[in-house]
Amino acid sequence: MNYESRAEVLKLARVLDVEPERLEYLARVDADDLKAFREQVTDSLFDAHVSVLQRMALAARLLPAPVLAKIAEKVFGPLLCARIAGLVDVGRGVDVAKRLKPQFLAEVAADLDPRRASAIISRIPLDTVVAVATELARREDWITLGRFVGHLPDDTVRRCLAVIDDPGLLRIAFVLDDKRRVDPVIGLLPEGRLGRIITAAGADEDLWAPALDLLSHLRETRRAAVIPLLDALPEGLRERAQATIK
Amino acid sequence: MAERTLAEQLGGYLPVGIEALEEHERQDLAGALRSARKRQAKALAEAGEEGLKYVPALLRGAVRKVVGL
Repeated sequence: MNYESRAEVLKLARVLDVEPERLEYLARVDADDLKAFREQVTDSLFDAHVSVLQRMALAARLLPAPVLAKIAEKVFGPLLCARIAGLVDVGRGVDVAKRLKPQFLAEVAADLDPRRASAIISRIPLDTVVAVATELARREDWITLGRFVGHLPDDTVRRCLAVIDDPGLLRIAFVLDDKRRVDPVIGLLPEGRLGRIITAAGADEDLWAPALDLLSHLRETRRAAVIPLLDALPEGLRERAQATIK
Repeated sequence: MAERTLAEQLGGYLPVGIEALEEHERQDLAGALRSARKRQAKALAEAGEEGLKYVPALLRGAVRKVVGL
C-alpha cells in the first residue's frame, strides 16, 4: 500500500465511524480517488439534513451565546455542533466556541469539516486553539490535527507545534490533507527540531513510514540540510531515507 | 424497497477507483454510509426537542416556530 492511500483509508474510516481494518480492501485504490470519495461522503453527511440544520442555525440567532453554549454541550453534543458550525453567523459561532471547554471543542473538531467552518476556525482565539491542539494530541487524534493545519494562520500553527511531541508531529504530517503544506510547516519549527523528529523515527518502527513520507515531501533546499542527520538512523531506515531524498 | 446503492447515495457518480471495486466491497461502503446517516438523523431528532428545555420560556415559542417543531 502506498503511504498516501494508507493515510486516506484512516481518514475515511473516521468520517464513516468504522474501524480502519474494515476498509482494508481500499488499500489498492489510488489516493486521489480515495480523497475524492471521502469528500463525497463528507458532503453527503453534511448535506443530508441541511434544511433542519439551517433552521436550527437560524433559531440560534434568537438565543444569547451563554444559553447556546449550554445547549451545545448538554444537548447537541459534538456531532451536531460540528454540523451546524458552518451554518451559523461567524461572530456568533466564535462567541459560542470561546465559552466551550477545550475537551468538548476537541470532540467537535474531530467531526468538523474545516472547509465549511474555515471562517470560524481562523477567528478562534490563539490560546483556545492551543488548548484544543493540546487536548487532541493527548487523545492522539492526529487525523483531526492534520485536517486543521491548512486552515490556521502560521503563528497559530507554530504555537501548536510546540505542544506536540516529535512522534506526534510525524504522525500528523503523515495524514495531512494537503501534503504541499508539509515543507512550509517544517519551516515553522525552531532550529534543531527537525533533527530530533527524524531521530525519533529511528526509535520506533511504526514511525518509519511517516518519516519516509515526510522526507519525500521536503523541498530540495531542506533535503540538503537533512542528509547529515540520516547517519544516526538505524540500519534499514537509513538506507530507505537516503534513497528517498537523494 | 431495495436499499440505495453507493452511487445512488452519492449522487450517481463514483471516482474510478471506487467504481472498480468488487460488488461486495461497494456494498460494504454503502452499508457504512447508510449507518452513518442513520446515526446522524437519530442524534438530530433527539436534539431538537431536548434543546428546547434549555431555551428561556419567553423565547421558546419563537424558537419552536423557526425550527419548525
